[in-house]
Amino acid sequence: MVDILSLAVTHGLMAIALWRLLSRDDLGRDPGEAALPARPWLRAPVAEPDDEA
Amino acid sequence: MLDLALLAFVAMFLALGIKRPFIWVLAYIYVDAVAPQKIGWSLIQLLPLSLITFIAAFGGWIFLDRKQGSRFTLRQGLIGVLLLYCAYTTTIADFPVEALAKWDWVWKALLFAMFMPLTLRTKLRLEATALIMVLALGTIVINGGIKTALGGGGYGTLALLVRENAGLYEGSILSTAAVSTIPLALWLARHGTIFKPDWRVWTFVAGLVFATLLIPIGEAARTGLVCAGFLALLMLRSAKRRFLYAGLGALALALAVPFLPQSFLARMGTITEHSEDESASTRVAVWMWTLDYAKDHPFGGGFDAYRSNSFTYRMPKVTGTPPNTSVTYETVTDKARAYHSSYFEMLGEQGWPGLFLWLWLQLLGVWQMERIRWRFRRTEEGTASWQWGLATALQQAQLTYLLGAAFVGIAYQPYIFMLIGLQCGLWSYVRRTAHEAPKARFRRPDGGEAVPTPG
Repeated sequence: MVDILSLAVTHGLMAIALWRLLSRDDLGRDPGEAALPARPWLRAPVAEPDDEA
Repeated sequence: MLDLALLAFVAMFLALGIKRPFIWVLAYIYVDAVAPQKIGWSLIQLLPLSLITFIAAFGGWIFLDRKQGSRFTLRQGLIGVLLLYCAYTTTIADFPVEALAKWDWVWKALLFAMFMPLTLRTKLRLEATALIMVLALGTIVINGGIKTALGGGGYGTLALLVRENAGLYEGSILSTAAVSTIPLALWLARHGTIFKPDWRVWTFVAGLVFATLLIPIGEAARTGLVCAGFLALLMLRSAKRRFLYAGLGALALALAVPFLPQSFLARMGTITEHSEDESASTRVAVWMWTLDYAKDHPFGGGFDAYRSNSFTYRMPKVTGTPPNTSVTYETVTDKARAYHSSYFEMLGEQGWPGLFLWLWLQLLGVWQMERIRWRFRRTEEGTASWQWGLATALQQAQLTYLLGAAFVGIAYQPYIFMLIGLQCGLWSYVRRTAHEAPKARFRRPDGGEAVPTPG
């Protein structure tokens, strides 16, 4: 009985966790990751101060 | 019925992985920790679940998962070198058959620990891995905790889910692993997003921690008690209200002692009286033997090299009740006595190079977690950030393990190597997201201060 109870509790929680993971977009990439450049080792072009003025 | 339920659960795990291949990595962690094939009685025992999930996890990552953000860290390289070195010592092992049997599971543990961080590219993946590890171990811990509370404990007699006393189902190993996992469970309760922090989560975690603390009592495992005490001290370091925390801990201990079984108290009393305890006496003898063995075999004797040990010693035995006690000395001969220490296990089996690699791997983890703690303590979020919390939890878990490892031979324990994999994943994640990107987006105008530029 104790075996069944402990298995049911933890496996039930694991099943819920897996189910929730399915619908999470941030499992594959972090929310801010999409904004990063495809080639992060290259610096983004920097605007000159005069241009901004 | 139990077989079918467990099979259905594993099948669900594998089926969900078709949509999200990372779930297969979690499936391997679950199968490795819980070993459902050993819990069932019929069909499930015939299926190579570990192999199936192992192939699914690797195949899923190679063929279906994105690789952007995956990094290979120094510690993964160290695990790889250790793996190759273990392969070498297996070929020259003193006991080739026994060495091959141990190699059969060690290589999987090391290879998976080397691979796992490559898949941990996002915060959610780190969290999901920690959650499955905690719940998988929780399956055994809750079972043992309830049985202990109902009076079913005792040294070597606590019946867990399976009928074998090995791996995570062995008393001292379970105690060490379970106590080491407490910080991770507390981190999930504070920072979890799969199960968001609320009173239900905290109630479950409180119950899990209580069950974990019952395991050393149920198993009468002295190592577990030492680990629990050490973890309490470690947690004081990161606690905001140290005096309140220490006071509550001392009060809880004082209230708990009268309820502890006499057999447990008697066994714990032998912690400081190792000369009168055969288990402890033989450990010291084996450690001395291993030091001598390493002089003749500096490159190790391969897995299970301890089988060649044999020693005779005189052990004091106290009889009678005070004040009428007498001490007699008995001659005891022991053969093929296991190391009972991960440090000596590494020294005996892999020699000085193996021990050096293993210590480097472990201590580098402690240092890297400290670096993350130091880095995030200075940020706006400070100690409230999830990165600081996870680094602290993983550091506490590892230090607790390293203390327990002094008394238990768990140098290659797969569950602990998964903790190392989680550390590598966090280290890689933090370096990628919190260090390199901001640095690449700053420029220094002539003679001026560094200014951020739009990304």
